[in-house]
Amino acid sequence: MSLLRAWLAGIPAYLWSGWGAVASLFLLFAAWEGASAAYGALILPDPATVFATLAGLIDSGAAWPELATTARRALIGLTLAIAAGSTLGMLAGISMTASMMSRPLVTVLLGTPPIAWLVLAMLWFGASDGTPVFTVFIACFPVIFVGALQGTRTLDGHLKEVATVFRLPARMKLFDLYLPHVVSYLFPAWITALGTSWKVVVMAELLSSADGVGAALAVSRSHLDTAATLAWIAAVVGTLLAVEYLLLEPIKRELEGWRRQEGSAA
Amino acid sequence: MSAPVAQPQEGPVNRRLAIHGLSHAYALRTVLDGIDLDLPAGRTVALVGPSGCGKTTLLHLCAGLLTVQKGTLENGFLRPSVMFQQPRLMPWKTTRDNIALGLKALGVPAGERSARAEAMGRAVGLDALALDQFPHALSGGMQSRAALARALALSPDLLLMDEPFSALDVGLKGQLHRLLLDHQAAHGLAVLMITHDLMEAVRLADAILVMAADPGRIVHRVELTTPARRRGDAEVYRTTAELLQHPAVCTSFGLEPPAADPEADADGGCAVLPLRAVGADGGATPAPRKKGFSC
Repeated sequence: MSLLRAWLAGIPAYLWSGWGAVASLFLLFAAWEGASAAYGALILPDPATVFATLAGLIDSGAAWPELATTARRALIGLTLAIAAGSTLGMLAGISMTASMMSRPLVTVLLGTPPIAWLVLAMLWFGASDGTPVFTVFIACFPVIFVGALQGTRTLDGHLKEVATVFRLPARMKLFDLYLPHVVSYLFPAWITALGTSWKVVVMAELLSSADGVGAALAVSRSHLDTAATLAWIAAVVGTLLAVEYLLLEPIKRELEGWRRQEGSAA
Repeated sequence: MSAPVAQPQEGPVNRRLAIHGLSHAYALRTVLDGIDLDLPAGRTVALVGPSGCGKTTLLHLCAGLLTVQKGTLENGFLRPSVMFQQPRLMPWKTTRDNIALGLKALGVPAGERSARAEAMGRAVGLDALALDQFPHALSGGMQSRAALARALALSPDLLLMDEPFSALDVGLKGQLHRLLLDHQAAHGLAVLMITHDLMEAVRLADAILVMAADPGRIVHRVELTTPARRRGDAEVYRTTAELLQHPAVCTSFGLEPPAADPEADADGGCAVLPLRAVGADGGATPAPRKKGFSC
């Protein structure tokens, strides 16, 4: 409860600190406008046209169902990856042997391009939801696994001794020692995975689905409708930015309050 | 290599830490050789010796952080507690929750352990603000107080301390010494304490074991007859000076042997030893001028 209150109280100051980010976004729009003027509307429509198209998509009710479908697939895949990656990564981190054995496997997973997994998923799952969900899962899992593994392995040995001499039961070791430390590694990994999931799901839909933002992109491409294509891209990127900066970043700052104090005290 | 490690036994009879012929090696390097030590309930034994003589290894063996390789270590105490050289507080817990850590492990309900942690925190001189802060916001001295409170909050019957006060100034050291002695008088806990500060050992301990390095072994034993709480400054300084005159202590710490005849020193000739020399030679805390320092 206090976490929620602190989070709400921190929002105005946090939003105010976002002016720098907004300014740099507007610089990007300026460059976009310039490029649009140079290359013409067919190659790159100007921002105003794109956002007008996006507003039209939203007004007509075409945008929300597609975004909801995409979000559902991305979140299912991401949730599965977070659950499996965090648990297995921490278990592997506890054992030296397991972490040494899992490292090369994770490198293989990380090194395999998502598009390769997508082809396999299309063979296995066909045109169902399974294809994008599986592709998101397999793309996000190693990132989260490595975060959990490193978090567990980097725990201060001195604190483990404290846990031993004060006879902390296994449950307390998990919730009072491992998790608080590991979360500071896990959370950035989760945020990276969220970005990955959002990108991968659109790619998977583009090639395998009949609905969702990816499918809408495929349609607008076939119509050579650059403005609609950019409008869908803006919708995807805008959603991701909103989730990351309005939801996850404030939570992260609150969870790592002790770390911030460390910085200011040093 | 399987040496017997006795489990804690019921009954007050076995409330003691008994070590016989304890040896320990890291790979081929022997760090402890033939240690004998007996610590009954309510007593304080101080282990002094130069850096690297295996003191911390011995303490870790007693705390169960290392496995006994050779010899026997019987720990009959039921609630041992440890205060490490560094405060070792969990950075993500407030001071209050850090102090309550051991109580939480024992399954004490949240309200009660918070109250007990607060009481113990107050006893070591931490105010409400400090108790609600995270350890990084505290000064080094306050962190040490919190670490002592965490160790004492368990109401231990054995307290193992590894150079607990070495980073503190003389004033704070004196306060915590007093606190420890008061707690010991009230609860009768046994203390095994490691220090390289001879004067601290003389101030707190009932028996002092001097260790030498390569391999770590006990080379000298001193029994102090006056109870620690009644030991005055003058007696502490005199006994420290006597200890520093002892050939075994000089050799252990790599000091020049005393210029005077050691035989004469044993008869009390050391009373005239300049106190300044204690600080300069032994690295011990220089003699404070304020009376407030006394225990």
